[in-house]
Amino acid sequence: MVSDVTCEKLREIGAEMALGVLPGRERAAAAAHLDRCAACREYIEHMTLVGDGLIGLVPGSEPPLGFETRVARRLPQDVTAHEGEPHTRASDLAHKAVRSRARRVRLWVASAAAAFALACGFTGWAVGTAIESVTASSSPAVEIQTPLMEGELTSASGLGPSAGDIYAHPGDPGKPGWIYMTVDLAAVGTPYSGKVVCLLERTDGTTIRVGTFTLSNGRGDWGAAASVDPAALSGARLTASDGTVLATGDFETG
Amino acid sequence: MGADRIYKCAELPVPVSRLPDEALLSGLATGDPELAVTFVRRFQRAVFGVAIAVTGDRQLAEDIAQQTFERAWRHAQIYDSRRGSVTTWLTTIAHNLAIDAVRARRTEPVAPEDLDALLDVVTETPEQWALADEASSQLRAAVAQLPREQGRALVMAGIYGMTAQQIADWEKIPLGTAKTRIRTAMGKLRNTLASPDRGDHGQ
Repeated sequence: MVSDVTCEKLREIGAEMALGVLPGRERAAAAAHLDRCAACREYIEHMTLVGDGLIGLVPGSEPPLGFETRVARRLPQDVTAHEGEPHTRASDLAHKAVRSRARRVRLWVASAAAAFALACGFTGWAVGTAIESVTASSSPAVEIQTPLMEGELTSASGLGPSAGDIYAHPGDPGKPGWIYMTVDLAAVGTPYSGKVVCLLERTDGTTIRVGTFTLSNGRGDWGAAASVDPAALSGARLTASDGTVLATGDFETG
Repeated sequence: MGADRIYKCAELPVPVSRLPDEALLSGLATGDPELAVTFVRRFQRAVFGVAIAVTGDRQLAEDIAQQTFERAWRHAQIYDSRRGSVTTWLTTIAHNLAIDAVRARRTEPVAPEDLDALLDVVTETPEQWALADEASSQLRAAVAQLPREQGRALVMAGIYGMTAQQIADWEKIPLGTAKTRIRTAMGKLRNTLASPDRGDHGQ
């Protein structure tokens, strides 16, 4: 039987819990409280970040010579075992990557994808796709650079310089393209939370619904495979689930 | 925001060794050996540092470091940059593995000379830390300002994974005092990181 934990008690033992040193019985009681108290969850999250930061202060130390080679060799080559991997063509990708090991990998598109992932949130699939599109290139001398389209989102309210960015890549021949968007409506005074819809606008005036994702306090990032025709694509629109336009953007080819 | 940086990156090919941390992490999914070696090389010092600090055993630390990278490879898709850097993510994995390994091996805590040495080193501010991010610098300064007994309790709990009871036994203090030292120290660090001039964690 786990005794009840109040918010006051949680604040007493929260530091130990966040550091992972709270004994089992107390931890169970605290966890039960956190399950029903958002304020204490937030408190513990902050404390956990402090604990993580403390670990980050530990000085580095060089491992034995050859460590990186030994580790890299043991990392499984069959990426189909990747748990929850959304990239369904991962195995094919791995084979291509291995075939390409002798040549210099030029990550042109990947660098752009990585940069926006770095700036706005992590999207493994998007960067992976971008890497694939470049590593599949057969010649290091001829660098095929499929145009990456990008656009800046503008808030429907017209406030602020930028509400985020949207990127569209048509993919290499035989491979699907993708869309990635990062949204920061909070920066323009619209801290909307809830489902939003991404629509692509075509030059003929029609729109295509690409998918939905969730914003939290106006922020979120999302990506999906999509058919991208640079010649027919003009812009994008982000709407709330009731159709209210939250932001729009026009594409430019990078 | 960030549009200039992205545009510049898009214009220039970037060698693997200069890829951002997040790109390298997701690149592990490709199975590309060059990416894997580059990834490990970039983070091995931080990962092994945590493992050796907690275990004090180079062979065990190497095993833990190896497990850390394998776990990162398997779970790369759950990494969330909003919760911290790739380095923080990896060192947290290494720390958890190291604590588990130490607890499985022995019950006694660390030697006191190791404890004080580690406390000294996490609070020193030599030139090599000058390039550390602002949050780390603030945290390091905050740890340095803690009363010694609070700093010791913090390192014992936060780095060596000792419970309040183990700290009380080691320091020969009442359990309540040990708990208070941990709580007070963590509270001070939290206030430091929550100061208004600090941005979100990891960004």
